[in-house]
Amino acid sequence: MAATLAIVRRDLVRWARNPGRLVLLLGMPLALAAIFALAFGTGGEAGLTVRVLVIDEDGTALSEFLSGALGSQEDTGPLDVEIVGEEGRAMIERGEASALVIIPEGFTDAFLDGRPATLRLIKNPAEQFLPQAVEEALRAAAVVLSQASRTFRDELAEFSAMLAADHSPDPVAIGAMSTRIAAKLQTVEPYLFPPVIELETISADGGDESDDGPSMQAVLSLVLPGLAVLSLLFFAQAATRDVMEEREHGLLRRLLSAPVGTGEYLLAKCVSVVTVSALGFALLIGIGRLAGVAWGPPVAVIGLVLSASIAASGLLLLLVSLVSSEMAANALTTIVVMVSAMVGGSFVPLPALPDFLLPVARLTVNYWATSGFLVLIRDGGGPADVVPQIGVLAGGGLAMLAVGAFRLARRIRAGDV
Amino acid sequence: MLSVRDLAKRFGEIRAVDGISFDVQDGEIFGLLGPNGAGKTTTISMISGVLAPDGGQVLVDGQDVWARPKQVKRLLGVVPQEIAVYEDLTARDNLVFWASLYGLRGAQRRAAIDRALERVGLADRAADRVRTFSGGMKRRLNLSMGLIHEPKFLLLDEPTVGIDPQARLAILEIVREVAASGTTVLYTTHYMDEAEKLCDRVAIIDHGRILATGTLDELTRLAGEGELLRLTGSFTADALRERLGALDGVEPRRLADGFALLARRPDGPGLAQLLPRLLDAEAGVDDVAIQRPSLEAVFIALTGRALRD
Repeated sequence: MAATLAIVRRDLVRWARNPGRLVLLLGMPLALAAIFALAFGTGGEAGLTVRVLVIDEDGTALSEFLSGALGSQEDTGPLDVEIVGEEGRAMIERGEASALVIIPEGFTDAFLDGRPATLRLIKNPAEQFLPQAVEEALRAAAVVLSQASRTFRDELAEFSAMLAADHSPDPVAIGAMSTRIAAKLQTVEPYLFPPVIELETISADGGDESDDGPSMQAVLSLVLPGLAVLSLLFFAQAATRDVMEEREHGLLRRLLSAPVGTGEYLLAKCVSVVTVSALGFALLIGIGRLAGVAWGPPVAVIGLVLSASIAASGLLLLLVSLVSSEMAANALTTIVVMVSAMVGGSFVPLPALPDFLLPVARLTVNYWATSGFLVLIRDGGGPADVVPQIGVLAGGGLAMLAVGAFRLARRIRAGDV
Repeated sequence: MLSVRDLAKRFGEIRAVDGISFDVQDGEIFGLLGPNGAGKTTTISMISGVLAPDGGQVLVDGQDVWARPKQVKRLLGVVPQEIAVYEDLTARDNLVFWASLYGLRGAQRRAAIDRALERVGLADRAADRVRTFSGGMKRRLNLSMGLIHEPKFLLLDEPTVGIDPQARLAILEIVREVAASGTTVLYTTHYMDEAEKLCDRVAIIDHGRILATGTLDELTRLAGEGELLRLTGSFTADALRERLGALDGVEPRRLADGFALLARRPDGPGLAQLLPRLLDAEAGVDDVAIQRPSLEAVFIALTGRALRD
């Protein structure tokens, strides 16, 4: 046991002596995420699709314009706007969309008369980030319409009268109105007036909503769990790479010439890899906490960190046991880590993963760890809610650690040192 | 005493070690001399309990290394051919780790580390990372890690490979000092001169088999007891061969135009008599060197080829 502890201590000292390695491993996932965002974000094909339900109780041209405007907000990404009936209220309660916009009856009349008009936005309480996007889109549309209402009050009243008349509008009157609108458009200063259209935001579960825009915490809460798991895999990869490095540089042979058994050595490596992975993972979680991410109950977070670290360590040790050189180990582990990050929810948030990928995603450490954190962060779950994730991660991880260690032990005893 | 009996190891079709036996007496420096691929490292690996032999036995102070691995390994200090140190750690970090593996703690460990660093001349670089060291310094640290626990037996596997002559001399000097303090040394090398200068006894190994074992004098007698003459100059091999046929006490080892390596028996002609009888009036001699019989000559005599081949 003393030898095991000495090896673990040495591995930790090596990490402490290489802070650059630590920074690199923490920074790499963030850099990769940025690269992916730059590569795929501009076209929108790989971006998120936010499903928005609209109940148009008004049923006028203006309300239809507003519905269309929601779907064309470039800054917020594509919104999948669906006009629904009263069933929309039940749908949002079932969590089938990110938000429900209600355009109340009389909205257009109030708008044209310059009276205050209210749009209602009901957000899905189970989501944090996506409903914020809808809220921003709607807020932008409300501001535009409010400005129009204030600026063109007279013209809108005249236009309203034209619509109400039972004869065709007088072309001369239309021409005069157009001239006045053009003149006002040249002089109007946007955002000078308070909006006449209020956006009333409520949660589907009846909770209060702050009026702030999408916060950094909301964004981090969505993306950080996946990135933290990716970082965890990088830590585990670096830690298990030491096994091959020691073998190829004669350190393993030398180590085994000391009073150290093969079992003691492998136990030490397992403990080292898990410890390093867990510390790296915990560090990233700490950074997220400082940035305002509410990870959830500490017991549940610790459970997820440990179980995910065991799973990541097991996976990487198993992979290393399958190959015979440091170079092959690097290649194999990098491929597996990157693929599992892509399909497991590290680069694309789990809620946005296509259905056909889910069976594959469930084979990854990323999926189980990320989904566990989302249960805590997004759904406000407690320790009991993440027991399945912890169970899968810890159980699978221990099994992989055992198989990997067994294979390595067999190789060492066969003289492959 | 370290005793190796009928030790054998096979890798597939290759017999890396083919039933070798030798004894290393307490306090001596025993050399295992052979070319690359002769089986030296495999032998060291089996003696140190890293590689399981296919057959045979290793006894260290009467204990079987495979029956009681931990007890035996505590008696051994192993210095591998590779520079097996952690380059991202300091010299002291490396020694702390190694000392811990042998159960050294606290003040005892600190003293052992200071002693080891002093011994290899790295005390002033103890806090520096190994990656900043020269090749020779890394070799010395490599050596100190095998000495940290003051082993009774020190196994050195080609500890001077790849370093400059000055660093090499420093390592050899350290090994002498270690042996002088009572440590038994098993030293493998493919450098003849190292074996000649350092070892009390030498076993010559080739293709996994020990060809001969003995002191330097015992071994050199195997190649003849006379001297070797190296001649260079303007003469032909054919002319020299013809004249040698008429001479007693001198035999050609190697002949070429302008070069001759001759073995002269103790009862053979002296140099002053030999040269006029070997060379005709037209031939000239640029250089004459007299060599005592060496391990090089022994290896040639035993294998028919030079060690570096």
